[in-house]
Amino acid sequence: MTPSAPLRLALVAAAIGAVWGVALPWLGRCPMIIRHVTAMESRDVNPAAMYYTELDRLPLRPSWIEDRVVLWP
Amino acid sequence: MGVATRRVGLHEDTAATVIGLAIVAMALAVTWWACPAERPASREKWPKGWPTPLSRTIDKPQTWSDSPLASFRDKQGNPVVVPILLGGAWVVAVAVAGASLGGRPVARMLPGAAALAMLAASAYLLSAQQVIHFYNLEYPLWALMIGVLIGNVVGVPPWLERALAGEFLIKTGLVVFGAEVLVGRLLELGLPGLLTAWVVTPIVLVTTYWCGVHIMKIPSKSLCMVISADMSVCGVSAAIATGAACRAKKEELSLAIGLSLLFTVIMMVAMPPAIGWLGLDPIVGGAWIGGTIDATGAVVAAGESLGKEAGEVAATVKMIQNSMIGIIAFAVAVYWAGWVDHSGGPRRGSLLAEAWRRFPRFILGFLAASIACSWLFSLSPAHALWVDGTTTGFTSRLRGWLFCSGFVCMGLQTNFRELAPVLASGRPLVLYVGGQCLNLVLTLAMASLTFGWLFRKAVEP
Repeated sequence: MTPSAPLRLALVAAAIGAVWGVALPWLGRCPMIIRHVTAMESRDVNPAAMYYTELDRLPLRPSWIEDRVVLWP
Repeated sequence: MGVATRRVGLHEDTAATVIGLAIVAMALAVTWWACPAERPASREKWPKGWPTPLSRTIDKPQTWSDSPLASFRDKQGNPVVVPILLGGAWVVAVAVAGASLGGRPVARMLPGAAALAMLAASAYLLSAQQVIHFYNLEYPLWALMIGVLIGNVVGVPPWLERALAGEFLIKTGLVVFGAEVLVGRLLELGLPGLLTAWVVTPIVLVTTYWCGVHIMKIPSKSLCMVISADMSVCGVSAAIATGAACRAKKEELSLAIGLSLLFTVIMMVAMPPAIGWLGLDPIVGGAWIGGTIDATGAVVAAGESLGKEAGEVAATVKMIQNSMIGIIAFAVAVYWAGWVDHSGGPRRGSLLAEAWRRFPRFILGFLAASIACSWLFSLSPAHALWVDGTTTGFTSRLRGWLFCSGFVCMGLQTNFRELAPVLASGRPLVLYVGGQCLNLVLTLAMASLTFGWLFRKAVEP
């Protein structure tokens, strides 16, 4: 017998709650993840940026680049 | 006898263009009005451009680790509940404006539009979980998931269905997005940057598309184009722009975005150790990362893990690639309208007239926003900060909300059964992997040639 729509919705919500409320926070306490997150936070990196305007720092020409590379020969 | 009246509305593309351009113009005007009194031309003082008052009218849930309640406060601990609610209100306002211009009844779609905004906020909330956020599993994935789950588990009620205008929201988001696509940014790394981004990207895009259509015989050309564009240009944003330009199906865009996000995570983790193992110079390694990893945030994350210099080069090369979206979307729209799309029946008149008839008009709005903001950006340092402040403080956030809501709609209406035969064959995956391998080889060759040899100064510091 197929469960009713509200029951199906409750089951899906419970599954999402378990993953986001329990599994992911637990995963976030693993040393490897903590190292990655700490490194990103210390450098103000927003890895979820879809486009450069969403970055915490706009990527402008590095100040040192012209000492190393001929930009316009 | 009463006379029956029928409201004739604007075409969806025209409505998206009008609303999108009006939003960009309003945002520029408000930011100009709030011009900072102190050193308005100083990039040191305003690294992300002038602060705009509009930034207080829109935000999204912030990163959280254990409790989702933490997402309603920013890094400084200030509450962001009101800007998040207002972000949802912007979505409702755009949907209402679109319905009104399109001649559709507004009152009947209001409850659905409000629910849509809430679902978009939920997708943002899921994507803001710390592990998800720092491994670059962006909001489109969760917006699609929420839509697909609701659509398949409980179905879409009629009151919600009336508000499902996913294509319109994405088109309007794209027109607003045009303000962020600044042509001047292309020159940020001079000729080496141009060669790395402009020579390799079109070659990989065209070759991958051609292989998908002619060698792998994937039946849908639009699927080949969306996969090729998101893999060779800049991931989700390129997939959205080219998908709209070639009128890709919702299922095709969802598949391309899923592939892009999956391989972005893999490459973000794998490329820095691979570059260390190969012993590449940080400039060359940064340029390689910038030219190959799809998503901008993942590029910065991978580049920074190699060091500050590699991170700066990677981010700048990716920004140059980002700036190509407008030209590529326009080229794809022209190619599709002229040579591929025969959906509107046999050709009528010249090729040019036919191409114009089939051309997705909102792409012109996207280009208009891009050209206008690029021109303003080039006028002076103060103008550049004006445009930067408008885009970083407001239009990029609004475009995110519009895309997120659009993806929820797409998820609600997605029918993956249509893609089942293609998915079962595994050909889209092979196309993505093959194209990405070509991208990796060509970008490494070009980055080594330009940043490592041809334009390298003889004297090292």
